[in-house]
Amino acid sequence: MTNSSPEPLLALSNVNTFYGQAQVHFDLSITVARGHIVCLLGGNASGKSTTMKIILGLVKPRSGEVTFDGASLIGLSTPQIVRRGIASVPEARRLFADMSVRENILMGAFVRNDRDAVAQDLDRMLTLFPKLGQRLAQRAGSLSGGEQQMVAMARALMSRPRMIVMDEPTMGLSPLYVDRVLELIRTINQEGVSVFMVEQNASLALEIAHEAYVLQTGRIVLSGPARALKDDPRVRDAYLGGSEAA
Amino acid sequence: MSSWLDYTINGLIVGNVYALVAVGLALIFGVSRLINFAQGSIYLVGAYIGWVAVVQLHTPLPLTIIVVAAAAALVGLIIERFGLRPLQNSVRIAPLLATIGISFVLDQLVMLTFSPNPRALPSQLPDVRFQLGGGTIGPLDLLIAGVGITSALLLFVFLRYSKLGWAVRAASQDRDAAMQMGVDVNRVNQAVFGIAAALGGVSGMLVGMYYNQIDTAMSLQATLKGVVAEVVGGAGNVPGAVIGSLLLGLVESYGVAVFGTSYRNLFAFLLLVVVLVLRPNGLFASARQAPPEPLTGTFIAPSRPVRIPRWALAVAAAGFAILPLFPVSFYVLQTLINAWLLGMLALSLTLVAGTIGQVSLGHAALLAIGAYTSALLSLALSVPVGLAVIGGGLMSAALGTLLISPSFRLRGHYVSIATLAIGEIVSLVILNWESVTRGPIGISGIPPLSLFGYDLISPSSVYWFSLAVIVVLALLQGRLLTSHLGRSFRAIRDDDIAARAYGLSLNRYKSLAFIFGGFAAGVSGGIAAHLYSYINHETFNTQQSILALTVVILGGLGNVVGAIVGSVALVGLPEVFRIAAEYRILIYGIVLLLLVRFRPQGLLGTI
Repeated sequence: MTNSSPEPLLALSNVNTFYGQAQVHFDLSITVARGHIVCLLGGNASGKSTTMKIILGLVKPRSGEVTFDGASLIGLSTPQIVRRGIASVPEARRLFADMSVRENILMGAFVRNDRDAVAQDLDRMLTLFPKLGQRLAQRAGSLSGGEQQMVAMARALMSRPRMIVMDEPTMGLSPLYVDRVLELIRTINQEGVSVFMVEQNASLALEIAHEAYVLQTGRIVLSGPARALKDDPRVRDAYLGGSEAA
Repeated sequence: MSSWLDYTINGLIVGNVYALVAVGLALIFGVSRLINFAQGSIYLVGAYIGWVAVVQLHTPLPLTIIVVAAAAALVGLIIERFGLRPLQNSVRIAPLLATIGISFVLDQLVMLTFSPNPRALPSQLPDVRFQLGGGTIGPLDLLIAGVGITSALLLFVFLRYSKLGWAVRAASQDRDAAMQMGVDVNRVNQAVFGIAAALGGVSGMLVGMYYNQIDTAMSLQATLKGVVAEVVGGAGNVPGAVIGSLLLGLVESYGVAVFGTSYRNLFAFLLLVVVLVLRPNGLFASARQAPPEPLTGTFIAPSRPVRIPRWALAVAAAGFAILPLFPVSFYVLQTLINAWLLGMLALSLTLVAGTIGQVSLGHAALLAIGAYTSALLSLALSVPVGLAVIGGGLMSAALGTLLISPSFRLRGHYVSIATLAIGEIVSLVILNWESVTRGPIGISGIPPLSLFGYDLISPSSVYWFSLAVIVVLALLQGRLLTSHLGRSFRAIRDDDIAARAYGLSLNRYKSLAFIFGGFAAGVSGGIAAHLYSYINHETFNTQQSILALTVVILGGLGNVVGAIVGSVALVGLPEVFRIAAEYRILIYGIVLLLLVRFRPQGLLGTI
């Protein structure tokens, strides 16, 4: 299925979303190329998190199309979408607080039935996130924010996804962990997993992303290669405009 | 004279029975944040299926248990699929109301199929008792303990080691996150309802054998006890539910040992209220609090209410006022009098549940307080009846508010549980406080209604009197809703944290709502006492509380005119269609279910 212009892995086209009367997205179109890291930037209430929810099927758009690997995701339930190969690192981690770290990581493999391979993958996670090894039996809720972020990422990887969507993976982390998380995203990506991430912290996200989109009150106002956007003053303007409105 | 060891054994056995109900409630609460008020009905169904199996099919005991568990699980699956799944995207109060409707329907179906008379459910075990220390223990005790412990172990293994069990635990901790791991929440719900129903059904059968008697009144009691045990152990906490159940069984058993059988339930509900007030998350809540109820969107959102012009209301009121001048039958007037009395209760509940958002399930207690006060004032102190009725209203307002006040700090479903328990406590105090209330004998010979020395005996005079009272109450409440106070009430309903941030004192406003509502309900109870001339602790029961709630939802929560229209409809229509009394409760249950599903804003719209 390779042709001259490779089909994107994920594509949102002309998505319009509403919460009751209020319109959240206006003709939103985003594509994630295979093997790329794409980040969606924007201030508060710009519609970033809703974009995540659209991809995961937690919110249904009123119109527009969402395709993953050429097939439409519209009308599929969240579990069905996850089985297609999309894993999620939700906003604020959302670990299963009363389950152990081990159980949390294994929950990520819920859609898989190959027990032996799952056990191997768990070992692989412990080499990728060595700190979690000594925490396996601990309640997930008792970990620090940074450690929880590691668990959330390990959990997402356990489904052997083709793409991971991340909602503000650096939110609320200490600077030390922010660097670690970004480095890990890059590592995950180098292993062939495409990444779509939503971020408020533009300068950090643009460092690791291939492409970026800037969302302002539900409209894409800027997009392009991350390298180009990095020094684009309009990114900053879009943010300032957004925060003035908020 | 039984020994303390006997009471301990009895408490633990009964506790095991409660645990089978409470564990199911905890599982369901964990996954859906829902208190399943139909759990007791499944228990009832289990008891009757057990009866069919044992008495008619002569199944051996192991097969009986399997049949009951399977049949009850099937009922649970049907409830989940057709009663609750369609409500997934509705407001959070909707599934709660639906389970109440389902429990009415199931109880009535059982009653219609098997008649309300108690039946004997023989134990299939030999009737011997073994000496154990200073007490005795029988094979049935051992069976119940065995079933309880085995179920707990199986459940533990299921939750800890099976994939579906993991899904249940994950979904109960974070539903959305579980979905993002690929967990199909519908399947989890199915599993949980199936398990809960199987355990509940078996529990009902065991209790039937234990007391060698089953009847349809078992249902509500089982729900209440299960809820008490579950909340004591911490809502949604499965091991907590087991410990809470054993504790409840022991507290009841020792309470009975010291004070007598009629105090059994009083101890259960006092335990609940104490736990709710002191440790609302249960005795064993870990440092991490249970996830809070969402602040907004819990409640049926205000819709665009149907605007009825004032002149139309005035014409309607005048029409009803001149009705007795026409040759209408006594029967019509009697029906409308009942509607006005229910309407007063509905006005009270629509204010408390609809306007300020405290869904009370114990509203009949306010009727009882008003009725007893008014009856005793006129009988014992010879207070004129007109004043006595007002006294009943005032007493209901004061005492009702005082009793409810411990629940003011609670939210959402917890308010419903607390009010239900407080309602039961009032009824049990009436039963046990013989020196004042004459206990189970009740009060007879209550003088008829009178006003300024004139007895209101003729149906039309009673009709006018009750119509006048409800019109005055409705006008006052309508005025209240448009005032600043009414706005504050609604603000608290819609978002209590925001309301507090604007400086509204929740306790004060909730008290005001209950004072006003308590007065209306108390007056209704007072009038009823003088009409019936005889009342006892069962005259005003939970069924009436739920009927009032159905009326209020039918009319539109918070809607004053709706409350009255709803009363006339629910009291009047069954009369018009001459529906036999035993089918009425069934119809009320179905109405409640249909409303929640298709028209949660009611006929006239929520305000």
